[in-house]
Amino acid sequence: MSRDDRQKLLELRDLRTYFDVEGRTAKAVDGVSFDIYTNEVFGLVGESGSGKSVTSLSIMRLIPNPPGRIESGEIRFRGQNLLDLSFAEMRKIRGNDISMIFQEPMTALNPVFTIGYQLREGIRYHSKCSKAEAEDRATEMLDLVGIPDPRRRLKDYPHQFSGGMRQRAMIAMALSMEPGLLIADEPTTALDVTIQAQILELMLKVREKTGDASILLITHDLAVVAETCDRVAVMYGGKIQEISEVKALFKTPLHPYTQGLLSSLPRPDKQKKTRLDTIPGIVPSIMSMPPGCKFAARCPIAEPRCERDEPELREITPGRFCRCHLVDGKGGGRAW
Amino acid sequence: MISYFVRRILLIPITFMCITFLVYFVMRSAPGGPIEQARQQIMMQDGGGGGGAAGEDLELPQAAIDQLKRYYKLDKSKPHGYLIWLGLAPDEDKGDRFSGIVQGDFGRSYLWSDPVIETITSRFPISIYFGLIGYFATWLVCVPLGIKKALNHRSMFDTGSSMAVFLGYSIPGFVAAMILMLLFSTELIGCDWFPLGGFRSEGWDDMWAKGEVWWCIKDQLHHTFIPIIGYVMGGFATMTILMKNSLLDNLGADYVRTAFAKGLPENRVVFVHALRNSMIPLCVSIGHAIGLMLAGSFLLEKTCNIPGLGLLGFESIVGRDYPVIMGVLVFAVLIKLVGNILSDIVLAFVDPRVRFS
Repeated sequence: MSRDDRQKLLELRDLRTYFDVEGRTAKAVDGVSFDIYTNEVFGLVGESGSGKSVTSLSIMRLIPNPPGRIESGEIRFRGQNLLDLSFAEMRKIRGNDISMIFQEPMTALNPVFTIGYQLREGIRYHSKCSKAEAEDRATEMLDLVGIPDPRRRLKDYPHQFSGGMRQRAMIAMALSMEPGLLIADEPTTALDVTIQAQILELMLKVREKTGDASILLITHDLAVVAETCDRVAVMYGGKIQEISEVKALFKTPLHPYTQGLLSSLPRPDKQKKTRLDTIPGIVPSIMSMPPGCKFAARCPIAEPRCERDEPELREITPGRFCRCHLVDGKGGGRAW
Repeated sequence: MISYFVRRILLIPITFMCITFLVYFVMRSAPGGPIEQARQQIMMQDGGGGGGAAGEDLELPQAAIDQLKRYYKLDKSKPHGYLIWLGLAPDEDKGDRFSGIVQGDFGRSYLWSDPVIETITSRFPISIYFGLIGYFATWLVCVPLGIKKALNHRSMFDTGSSMAVFLGYSIPGFVAAMILMLLFSTELIGCDWFPLGGFRSEGWDDMWAKGEVWWCIKDQLHHTFIPIIGYVMGGFATMTILMKNSLLDNLGADYVRTAFAKGLPENRVVFVHALRNSMIPLCVSIGHAIGLMLAGSFLLEKTCNIPGLGLLGFESIVGRDYPVIMGVLVFAVLIKLVGNILSDIVLAFVDPRVRFS
């Protein structure tokens, strides 16, 4: 299916989210643009501090203010700019049209209320249904995420659930209103490796049964991206560095940073004796980003102009974007 | 859970005995016991008559001292004396019967010869009256203030009220009461609005008997006002800051973000989700605070001349009135121990994560 046939669900245009810290401005998200289509799983990859979580919280307009603020840009959801909405209108979107799963299932649920209470609360707030109807819906959702004996487990408190079960409950909560977009912010990072795959699979399965939400999956784990995503954006230094179909990204990564990320993955087909590649250097401080390419200082192929001029995010081949001076479209592969 | 509380209750007698023995031991060891008090009294009387010439002649005859010692049971060793007081050793003055705390016999006051238990039970309600009103007033002031400070963290209001909190922290309740009485109970600045201490006015009981209910209530409130401010000042700083910090912590918690992400309105997130969690540390302090308040504040009751348990304890210590000191102690310790268990029960009630085993 050609991409243009599909409907755009979410369009981010030049989103800038800044934080004022001790009199200076940290540009956590600095001009991010991407689209998410209906029914797609879109991955947002980057290391800690790259701005991926702030991007997701900006979409929900959950940036704590102060110190944070959405400086400029557009977040169009089904054509409507979320940044134009009043707080009351935004509340109707949250948890209803766009919902979110967080990284820490241990702390993301309120310890003093039962799972059932917390599930019903959102359902009742959005659908104005009776307590019994909300209870039925909550039971149904808990059943859907594979928690046995759901009606009884609704009466349990979060501490009576294991980490994986809490994340299941979070998924149930997030999908209970059949949202159009589900934002999953590192949903499996805090879980056991054995549980991670289960949770991802469950997330994909349950969303099929509840209105086919698009998913914005935020992760630092490329393996998770490879398994679940249709398209992926790579973030670095508060900017998108590369956007691509997942298969193409893994086959021929364009941006030097993406290449670095991929070659640092352990691979069974490689010789075991060789050490894993690493990207030298550290992420530049968010308070003092270099004026040119954010990755220049760590880039193996950087030229003098890379440190001076910020490259644009250019469409290299249809649907494939890269922010690098040294990548051109000809040849499709390692262009430099 | 039940077995935990049963064990806690079974521990009460042991703790009780440790505390009371320690106090009995220290009390008996401290100089200025009843014999010296008696000696001083005699000296005052004789000294008045005989002029400054006397001195060493005023020493009591040894026989009298021995008699006094036997009367006050000071001839017994401290552990023995303690056991008699407790009622686990026979009391030869009462025909070798066991008669002590265990049997409900608190003894008689050395100073007034009244039965200790009667004195205490007549004064206890007064301490409860001030203690409970004081405690609820503290909640009424501190919880809303703490919430407002947390919601307006680092605002003008927060900074300004922090100065009041500082002031409250540095001024003890009884000093605050003293200053207030100086200002509003005397002609110092021409605002003689409140009585200079006391529980009620002189003729209160007569007025009550006459059916002047309205006058009685007004008089009671009139006497209550300044001491209650003292009580509130006592817990004001700690409780306000505890409330503020606790709420501030919880407002930054992950589950608050989850609640916002669900689309709940801010009021619901703050006052249901965050506040419920922030009340936990405050609720836990209930038992402790109730214990302190009910047993009466020694200094506040002294300054405001409130005839409660605190003032009784204060006077009995000054007068070395051993049975009364011990009697007040028994009450204070029991309230405190029960209060601690109450704290645990409240904690188990408000925090579902708490499981005692």
